[in-house]
Amino acid sequence: MTVLDLPSTRQEAWRWADMATLRAAAALPPTPAGVDPADLFLDIDGPRLCFVDGVFEPAHSRPGPVEVTRQIAATDHPLGSLAIGEGWALHLGPEHAATCIQIVHVGTGGENHVPARILLADDAVATVVETFAGTGWANRLTAIALGKGARLMRSVRLVQTGGFVSIRDEAEIGEAASLVSIFLGAGGMGSRIDGALTLTGKGAFAEMGGALLTSGTQRQEAAVAVRHEQIEGTSRQIWRAVAADQSAASLAARVEVARGAQQTDGEQSLRGLLLQRTATVNLKPELEIFADDVKCAHGATVGELDRNALFYLQSRGIGEAQAKALLTHAFVADALARIGEEPVRDAFAADAARWLEAAL
Amino acid sequence: MLNIQNLHAEIDGKEILKGLTLSLNAGEVHAIMGPNGAGKSTLGYVLGGRNGYEATSGSVDFDGQDLLELAPHERAAAGLFLGFQYPVEIPGVSNVQFLREAANAQRRHRGEAPLSGAEFLKLARAQAAALGMDAEMLKRPVNVGFSGGEKKRNEMVQMGILNPKLAILDETDSGLDIDALKAVGEGINRIMRAPDKAVLLITHYQRLLDYVKPDFVHVLADGRIVRSGGPELAHELEREGYGALAA
Repeated sequence: MTVLDLPSTRQEAWRWADMATLRAAAALPPTPAGVDPADLFLDIDGPRLCFVDGVFEPAHSRPGPVEVTRQIAATDHPLGSLAIGEGWALHLGPEHAATCIQIVHVGTGGENHVPARILLADDAVATVVETFAGTGWANRLTAIALGKGARLMRSVRLVQTGGFVSIRDEAEIGEAASLVSIFLGAGGMGSRIDGALTLTGKGAFAEMGGALLTSGTQRQEAAVAVRHEQIEGTSRQIWRAVAADQSAASLAARVEVARGAQQTDGEQSLRGLLLQRTATVNLKPELEIFADDVKCAHGATVGELDRNALFYLQSRGIGEAQAKALLTHAFVADALARIGEEPVRDAFAADAARWLEAAL
Repeated sequence: MLNIQNLHAEIDGKEILKGLTLSLNAGEVHAIMGPNGAGKSTLGYVLGGRNGYEATSGSVDFDGQDLLELAPHERAAAGLFLGFQYPVEIPGVSNVQFLREAANAQRRHRGEAPLSGAEFLKLARAQAAALGMDAEMLKRPVNVGFSGGEKKRNEMVQMGILNPKLAILDETDSGLDIDALKAVGEGINRIMRAPDKAVLLITHYQRLLDYVKPDFVHVLADGRIVRSGGPELAHELEREGYGALAA
């Protein structure tokens, strides 16, 4: 029983983690998910992979360049190290491209663990969209290595109705390479999005951000550390948290700039919106800088909807609930606007809109 | 059209309007002038239904409806438009999206069919052009990065699209240069000068009244109308100041 090895909330890095929900999800007996994996794929052409309870489902898949392989986890991360067994791997040679890869994960209960690896050689390009649906505990480890000038755009949406999703990303970003990972937590599950991005080459770009939307007694969190090891690197951590009812959304973002990583340009923007005063948003921005020629903009704010804006919209004929939805949507929009492909961005925006309609 | 009787209103327990009585008929333009702190903006907000601006006694009848009973968006659907002294910036919401939602929310409320995207764009472009506003600005987030004059023009574009029966315009002339003042004045006349419409201009200065000629001018001081008259009253105020007249 893997849940025995779970981290304790007494550890600082796990203080906001909802391990009780994770345990309950792992103990959930499997029941039919009631979702057709076919409905979870976006209507765009490209390779498709479906995992049901962590098991590859060929009937709904056409993996293209993506391989389904067994992997061992090379990490000491407490949850990531549990993700061993059958998983998927994308290896692209120099200047190769694989776009609009969609991966759908459906859970029916219990725990499932899937490791993944994305290795892009110099100047290779890939885009990956992942969707988590159903219930149970979905645990993922994704190891990413980008060669010189390689580019990876990754969009991940968590729309499980219940249960828990834990994601651990570990990335090494080479010279002039670019990694953008955008997450949307818009389901009823608990979550932990955990990332360690290292800029290992000169002029690398790393971005990890997104929006966590929580309601009821739900708890979601993101904990990301970006490490600049070389000069002229750029990183962006743009996160939005919206919390309703008695829920809690937590964001911990850390930027480390190593000695000698001069001309680093880091930006960290953590913003929380409370839809009710009974809800909680936790923000923890951290900077650790050992170089002297560095720009690291950072901001962390929590607030409520702007009353002036709300009245302005109402005075033009928009009802209160719709006005709140418009403003809340606008609040998360800039985090989701980072998604490069329009149909993916639209689908994520629609998920956020559905969440708002239910929450307001 | 609008009949305000002995209206008392307070903010945070402090009484600002102290028995205001005012009546507007269709086809009329009224101006309310008064010194700072007289309660001019409060009157606008109370009529618009803003939270925290509480009418404690008196009545407001708008075309046979008890205005104070309606939620702000219902007042808009009933035909009331409140022009803001400081139009609010709303990052992330485009002007087009905002105005289409507003126009269609009002139409739905009145049981009318919503406008299609194409119909709405045509209407919005025509109104923007009439106000001398670049159609590109319709795509930008509401009022974000707009100059003072652009914000007020945008208010008038909104008024043109929503086509209200009664416009209450709070210091619409503040922050305008002479060209913008002229454009806004012409906008008010074009959109609102009609036998079935009425305008209540709330203003500190006479200068907007050179462009929008009022039929009646009222002086608001310490929460009450202390004097009413024709357009000549505005000139008298400009010459002699509020102190002498309100006394």
